[in-house]
Order: sequence, then structure tokens, then C-alpha cells
Amino acid sequence: MNGGPVARLDNMTKKKGAAGPQGNKRGENLVVPGDDLGDSEGFEAGHGVLVMSGRLKALKQGKLREKGKSISIEPIHTRYIPRPGDLVIGFIEGCTNNLWFIELGAPFNAILPMSLGPGKVDFGGTRSVMDIGDAVLCRVQEVEETHSSVVTMKGMGLRKIRSGVVEEIDPHLLGRIIGKGGETLRRMKTETECRIVVADNGRMWIDGELDGILDVRNRLSAISRDSRGGRN
Amino acid sequence: MTIPIVPKLLRSHLSDLAERDARIDGRGRWEGRELEVEHSILPRAEGSARVRMGDTIVLAGVKFQIMTPYPDRPNQGGLMCSAEVRPVAGRNWESGPPSPESIELGRVVDRGIRESGCIDVDSLCIIPGEKAWQVILDLFAISDDGNLFDAFALAGIAALRNATVPAERFEVGEDYPLSVSKTPIMCSYHKVGGRFVFDATAREELGGDERIHITLGDDNNVHSLQKGLKGIFSAGEFTEIMDNAIERTEKLRKIIDEL
Amino acid sequence: MGGYGDVQMIDENGVRADGRGPGDIRPITIETGVVPVADGSCRMTWGTNEAIVAVYGPMEAHPRKIQRQDRAVLDVAYNMAPFSTTDRMRPGFNRRSREVSKVTQDALESVVLLELYPRSKIRVSIEIVSAEAGTRCVGLTAASVALADAGIPMTDLVVSVASGKINDVVVCDLNKEEDNYGEADLPMGIMPNSGELVFLQMDGDLSQDEFKQAWKYNMDAAQEIHKLMVEALNGGDSQ
Repeated sequence: MNGGPVARLDNMTKKKGAAGPQGNKRGENLVVPGDDLGDSEGFEAGHGVLVMSGRLKALKQGKLREKGKSISIEPIHTRYIPRPGDLVIGFIEGCTNNLWFIELGAPFNAILPMSLGPGKVDFGGTRSVMDIGDAVLCRVQEVEETHSSVVTMKGMGLRKIRSGVVEEIDPHLLGRIIGKGGETLRRMKTETECRIVVADNGRMWIDGELDGILDVRNRLSAISRDSRGGRN
Repeated sequence: MTIPIVPKLLRSHLSDLAERDARIDGRGRWEGRELEVEHSILPRAEGSARVRMGDTIVLAGVKFQIMTPYPDRPNQGGLMCSAEVRPVAGRNWESGPPSPESIELGRVVDRGIRESGCIDVDSLCIIPGEKAWQVILDLFAISDDGNLFDAFALAGIAALRNATVPAERFEVGEDYPLSVSKTPIMCSYHKVGGRFVFDATAREELGGDERIHITLGDDNNVHSLQKGLKGIFSAGEFTEIMDNAIERTEKLRKIIDEL
Repeated sequence: MGGYGDVQMIDENGVRADGRGPGDIRPITIETGVVPVADGSCRMTWGTNEAIVAVYGPMEAHPRKIQRQDRAVLDVAYNMAPFSTTDRMRPGFNRRSREVSKVTQDALESVVLLELYPRSKIRVSIEIVSAEAGTRCVGLTAASVALADAGIPMTDLVVSVASGKINDVVVCDLNKEEDNYGEADLPMGIMPNSGELVFLQMDGDLSQDEFKQAWKYNMDAAQEIHKLMVEALNGGDSQ
């Protein structure tokens, strides 16, 4: 069905005997949830890894990464989880008299209180300043235990986005888009004459002449195409 | 269905693109997405098809049941079209009773097929006054990236054209191919950035305005029309769309004929 | 269930009507990424069963009343398309589908780390587009692959398979006829790395020994099917 490659079990005879757990998977690169990643002694569980009964266990599907003592998994799909300090691009989904609800592509929406909004906002005047459907460049101020986050527009460069486009990008392409030392992104900006802001929540703001914007979009498509090695 | 927020930037961008005669995915104004049509892919259906238009994927299945003809039409069987867009197909499709959106989808596609007369309900008679065939076409969305209307309509006619009447299973004779006398084809146009385009993606639908659906038969006869959503259009705009529909339905009909 | 002892489904040499031996599974294919607009998806064919599962989330839980402060809500819906069965299934509420949705949800909640995403929702849509005995097993298995494809953290994948008894012989992976005319049906949902269970149902008549045999068939089959799931998820690179 044109997704990834198809795994098939066509022959109807099966091997006798149970195969049991597959043993230490750290030698191979790709893991799936449940894979045993070896003894936890001397190692730290990073993203997508759990310590259970003295063993490291994979919780996600993706590439295994060993960085010093930390064992983690780099999945293809990740949902953005807000962290304090993150630069994010959000869309206003609703508002009350004194705050806006911002959609960040996270497990749930963030809150932008009036006091942290743009300029001076009167109580009840939220909608006239920023309306449903507007895009904002803001920063994550705090994240409480239940992952609810508060964002702020008080800060350098933070603003309501009035022109240009916002593109969603695959988080695992971020590395390629920015390039070594930021080279690819820098070149993209100069060659297309666009202002480009890459936010931490998998969104990009591109602003400039229409031709420049279309150029950026083509380059992003090319990067996405090149990175695909058999998987959609 | 949850109506998603429409980003303001998207609308102004689509406007800019329209002025330049460009679209967000680089296609031409009247250009359709990559199209794939397969038939007879569902083992339990008497006729079936899968249509893929870009990232929009739908299934159509034809099932037969025996019905008692209405007393005033003793020789007639029936045709029923039903469409379902379930939560599997997209983030904004919710569970529960059919939404107005999916009901409109089903009814518009049904009209296009029914009004063309491609299924002759008189030919569905088994025993006059006692038994007749009811043909049921079920349209099922798998992935919604816009223009479910055309995907459903195309899958529907492809499934009907490749359906077999299961007379043996119902012990009323031998199996035979369902007789479909024409190939009605639907084309949908969405106003995006101020002008109508063909085969809109979900993003174009999100930032767009009204839409028009046209179903034409083999002889370019008009079999059904529907204007959906809020917006106004002129006679000139309509003529432009109709001209394109005549051209486009011919191409799509050929694809169905050659399946 | 209710055995129909006079329907011959397996011969003296242990060969079943479809050519399989007592311990053999029907042919299976697994693909991921088949619903392009979803966060994760899986298409699984098993005999002439076909299931398509799409996962969305974690996302904002609507309506507010279903939100849980301490963990994500897993919203699992199992449904059979109208053209999935020989006699058309009318769309709409169906008690059996409601029960299968619930037991599938309970099974998946046992492996998904819901506490990592409080106040949010993860939606799992299981659609059976072609049915031939064991649809709840295909649905549960495909759902765990789709969840992994979506990057949802789980302590293990789940493999679900049903064994049973036909003509007094215990066999693995019942097909349609065997399910209709056999004497027992034992579907299980297994965590392949530990052999622990997240799903268990049974109906029919099995002696203690027969039960142990059916159990073992399911466990062995789970290991084999697990390899296939890994291959599908890793894109064939895991060998």
C-alpha cells in the first residue's frame, strides 16, 4: 500500500520451539519497543529507554544512540514536548478575557496570559489584539508537572507573525536543514533572501518575497526527499 | 468533525499564490495529484476498488442483498450508496453519529451515480413482485488529505464496473457481471485564494472557501451538481470550471475503462 | 462455539483443510506508514483478514471531561467495515465491536506508558476491511505496531493469536471454518519479550492438557509473528 517495505510470512510451516527474548540488541542499530538493551550497570537511560529489573529496555522504535554513559533512542516520529526556554511558533486556538490558548503541536495547548502578551492589553480586549487563527512567535516560560505550559511574548524578537508562512517540518530533518555549524540554513537564508526562524516545536517561519518563499519550500522538499531511504 | 482553526497567514499566502497562478504544492491550477486506482482488492466484497490521490486514500465496496420490490414497482431492485469517514482517516474526524460533512459526502456521490442511470434498477429483478437485487455501495475513507468527493466517486464507479452479482451464493442462478451502462465521473473544484482550482489538498481546503462538484456522464451530460460551503461565484467562473470538467472527466473515464 | 463433530476439518495425518499442520499460522503481511496523514499506522493481512490501524496523538483531550490529570487517555475503537463480511455489516453501533474495543484498549493500556503524557489523548482506530476469524487478534497486533510507528512509548509490542480445537485436535490459528465448527477458541495477547499476557479470552471445551497445548501454540506463534513485526517497523534492516 505504498507505505514502508512489507514484511511477509508467506510460508505456512513454522519452526519448532519457542525462540525466547532476543538477547542483547546493542550491537544492532535499530530497536523496537520491548527490546532488551543490556545490563543497566554503569549506564544511564536516555530518551525512550527505561531501566527495569537491572536491564535497559527500549520503549520506542528508532535508532539506538550511545553517548558516553547515556543510552537513548532516536525515533522517526516524535511529538513535541515543551521545555522552559524553547522558542516556539504557535497558533491561537481560543481566548478568554485575560488569556489566549496556543496550539503548539504538543500533547496539549499552552496558555499565554495577558500579562505576558504583546504590549499593553486590557482585560476583555484579548481578541482585538490577537485573534483566533493568528500565529505567534513566543518562548516557553514554564512547564508544570502535568506538561501544561505557559508561554510569553515578552522577549527579544517575540511577536505576532504578520506576514510570510509557517511550515511544519519533520523533527528528524532539523539536523539536515540547519546543517553543520548552521551552514545549510545560513546559505538558504542568503540565497533566497528570506528571513527564516526555526522554532523548537518543529515549525519554521519563512518571510520574504513570494519567490523566495517558494524557493525555500523547494529546498525543504528536496531535503525531505533525499533523507528518505525506503521509509515514508 | 472538528472544524480546525484556519491560520490567517495561510489564507493570505494562498491569495498571493493565486495571483501568481501557483499552488502550495507546486501543481498547476487544473492539475490533479498522482492517481492510483486498483479494483477487486477486497475479498469479501462482490466488487471493490481502492483510489489513491496524493495522500488521500479511500476504499469502495459493493455488496448485494435480496430485497422485496415495492408493490408499485414490482420489477425494480434498488441502489444504495453510503459513505463513512471514520476517525481513522484524520485527526479532525470524530467518532459518533455521522457528521453533516460525511452525510453530504455520501449523498452527493450517491446522486452523481444514481442520476446517471448507470445502474438500471429494472435489470435487477429476480422474481417479479417477490425478489430483486439491492446493490449497496459503501464508501470508506482511509486517509483524508482533501477532495474525498472525487476519490469516493471514482472508487465507487470503479467498484461498480468490476462487480459480480452473487447469484450462486443466494441460489438464484449463476454469477454474472453487474451491468453498468455508463461511467459517471465527478470533478470537484475549490475556491482557493480567490479562484477555483481542481483537486484541492486538505491544506487548500482549510484555507479556501466554497467548492463545486460536477458529475458528467459519457456524453458529457450533466448528472449532478452541488455547491458546498460559504461563498459566491459568478457565471463566468462556473463556465470555466465546466469546461475543465468536460476535459478532465474524459481522462478519468479512460482510466476506469482501462482497469 | 459448540462443536460440530461431523464437519471434517483435519485428517488422520494432521493435515488441515487449508493444507496447514496443527501448529502452522496462516500467511501474514505487515506494513507501516499506510495512512499518510496519521501519526502512525499499520496494515496487516492475516489469511484473508485485513486490518488498517491509524494512531493519532498524544494530543489535546477533548471533551475536557475525559481528560485525566495523571495520565493520557487511550481511546481505542475497533470497527468492521460494511464490506468486510460475506453478509454486509450495517454501519453504526455494534455490541460486539464495543466489547472488542474495550478489551483491546485494556490490553494496550497495559503496555503503553500513559503516565508520560498526562491530560492528553492517544487515539487508536482499528478498521477491519476484510474479516476471516481472529479479527480481534489482527486488530490488537496491528494496533501495537501502529503505536510503535507513531513513536508512542511501550514496554513491549503485543502479539495476539488464537488457538483452538477442531475434531478433537488442538490447532494453532483458527481460520473461519475452524472457528465456526470447532470445539474451542483461545485468543491471547502476548508481550513477546517476557511472555506475559495482556489479553486472554476463551470459550468452548478444553481438557487441562489440551489447554496447555493451545497455550503453547499461541506462545510459539507469538515469537514468530514478533519477528515479522520487528522487520516491518525497522524497514527490513534488523537482519
